[in-house]
Amino acid sequence: MDYLAEKFLKAKKIPSTACSGCGLGQVHKKVLMAIDELGLGSADVVWGTGIGCAGRQTFNTWKGDNFAGTHGRVYALATGLRLALQPEQKIVLTVGDGDAFGIGLLHLLHCIRRNVDMTVIVADNFGYQSTGGQYGYTTPSGSITDSSPYGMQDPNWVQDGRDILDILKSAGAGFLARHTSVEGQNAVESIKQAINFKGFSLVHIVYPCVTNFFGKALGSRKPVDAYRWLKERTNPAQDNLEGITFTTGVYHKALDKRQEFSEQMRKFTGNVQKRCQS
Amino acid sequence: MKRLFDTGNAAITEAAIFAGCKLFSGYPITPATEIAENMSRRLPQVGGFYVQAEDELAALHICIGGSLGGLKAMTSTSGPGYILFADPYGWALGSEIPVVIVNAQRVGPVSGITGAPGQGEFYLSRYPTHGGNFESIVLAPSSVQEAFQLTVEAFYLAERFRMPITVLADQIVTDGWETLLIPETEAEIQAMGLRVAPRQVNYGPEFYPATDEIDVPPVVLGHNTGAACSDWTPTAEGFDTEEVEWQHKHAYRLIYKVRNNRNVITQYEEFGLEDNPDVIFVAYGSPARVVKSAVQAAREQGLKVGGIRLISIWPFPDEVFHRTAKYLSVELNYDGQLVREVQRAVPKDSDVHFLGRCGELPKVAELVDAARTLINGQALQAIKWEREAW
Repeated sequence: MDYLAEKFLKAKKIPSTACSGCGLGQVHKKVLMAIDELGLGSADVVWGTGIGCAGRQTFNTWKGDNFAGTHGRVYALATGLRLALQPEQKIVLTVGDGDAFGIGLLHLLHCIRRNVDMTVIVADNFGYQSTGGQYGYTTPSGSITDSSPYGMQDPNWVQDGRDILDILKSAGAGFLARHTSVEGQNAVESIKQAINFKGFSLVHIVYPCVTNFFGKALGSRKPVDAYRWLKERTNPAQDNLEGITFTTGVYHKALDKRQEFSEQMRKFTGNVQKRCQS
Repeated sequence: MKRLFDTGNAAITEAAIFAGCKLFSGYPITPATEIAENMSRRLPQVGGFYVQAEDELAALHICIGGSLGGLKAMTSTSGPGYILFADPYGWALGSEIPVVIVNAQRVGPVSGITGAPGQGEFYLSRYPTHGGNFESIVLAPSSVQEAFQLTVEAFYLAERFRMPITVLADQIVTDGWETLLIPETEAEIQAMGLRVAPRQVNYGPEFYPATDEIDVPPVVLGHNTGAACSDWTPTAEGFDTEEVEWQHKHAYRLIYKVRNNRNVITQYEEFGLEDNPDVIFVAYGSPARVVKSAVQAAREQGLKVGGIRLISIWPFPDEVFHRTAKYLSVELNYDGQLVREVQRAVPKDSDVHFLGRCGELPKVAELVDAARTLINGQALQAIKWEREAW
């Protein structure tokens, strides 16, 4: 067991039940590296997750307190939890692209509107893979999936001039970043900034699903092909690459910090109490 | 004792504050909106939080999130919102997290009539979520004062049974104005029989014992106990599993912690049953008050009539229906919901009949006439399109 796993994870959940070659482990390892490099321990972080690949593989791996919510509702759950936890305790949520950008988008937007202090890591494998490989909200257009056998016909959130991160920024997200799982320390640095950000933060991390997505879209279940495909399209230098690319790095960091939700609620409640006593 | 003239909505609010509620999240809906409004005014005064949610899914999730962090929490809604609670209700039920849910029933289906009373969520309150393998606890007030009592009781039961509890009211109870007594001293609290259970913390490592025990503290996050809960079937330590054996243990716990501790839950009122009456009215909520008056009126006219008012609805108190008689279920719906359970629970040689109204209460005289008809061995008369199929 590696150093990070031994330090932070419950031995019972190792090895993970993820498919062989899955990139999810790379995403989680970066989150653990960020937590470790920030000097945080199990008491400092409550880890939440949803369902699907990102939920099932992470639930109860964290040695500290953790939970798994229903699909897409974990942001609302964490909003209530935020009011109950100590302000300095971090909430880290690892969710999938369907959870964040599909079924849960409304709750995610309201969580951002309220500026609830939490870090959402969106582990994006281009669709619904734990249900067998249906298209989702970031599936590249034209991709063959189980529910787009003639090529993905439904517009997604990340092409044709749209970027889901723009929407999250407009809603008021204070810190946003995008990476791919094949990246290294630059991704860890973004996650560290996100966790340290007081208020809502989100890091979108694209990772390969070799079993379903790449098996169908690329016609290969070899991890090496999937990782090569992703690496060739990972664009930290913001070069003008042709076709599908993932421009990575910090996407947005607000200079003027909005008041955080639970902080604002505590102040508000305190003021009302004072007003009523006087 | 504080003596007020106020609504059921106000009574529910004050009861929640009394029970130690520190978080309310809801979505406005008639006729439960005033609970939210009252909570927005009252909770900050006692150091609590009011969060207006983006929808009912979020409302109950915010509540169970707060409860998961150790805050007593409540939400309120009406039928169209109650059905949306199906998703978070299941999470709270499966993860065994205490929370109180108020449903002010109105006329349905769907939006129906927003400002008139109905009783259409009798069965929905038994099965407010998917998947089965659970038992629910539901309390039904019939007056403003009882709305206060039962909301306090719902918080108490939520803690002891570590689960969501529904207070199934109706629009007459929540919008109606009546005298409301709020106790202020320990003696008054005791005299009113109010019970308050403090929030405790499950420090693990066991998630919950695979038994029917109650009074096992719920999971509370933030204490660094390595606590975990999810919507998946849990092992003893809360790990998700696909093993059927663990599902058996989980289902056993969810079902029998309620069924085997019914004595803590079951409440009902009986009137005029001393001399084994010919006709027994059955009702819950506001129609039960008309029933009570009707029993008195029928008795004055020499008819042997009695009544049963259910206060706790689920688990269904079968034992209350041990007398052989002609039962008449009086409900605020036309399809008959409570009547089916009565039919199931009564002795074999009993008759079960149904009298439904919707949006308005039945009249005392109407019920007395119905009792007389049944005593005379006649069938209840159908009114226009209505048919008595029971």
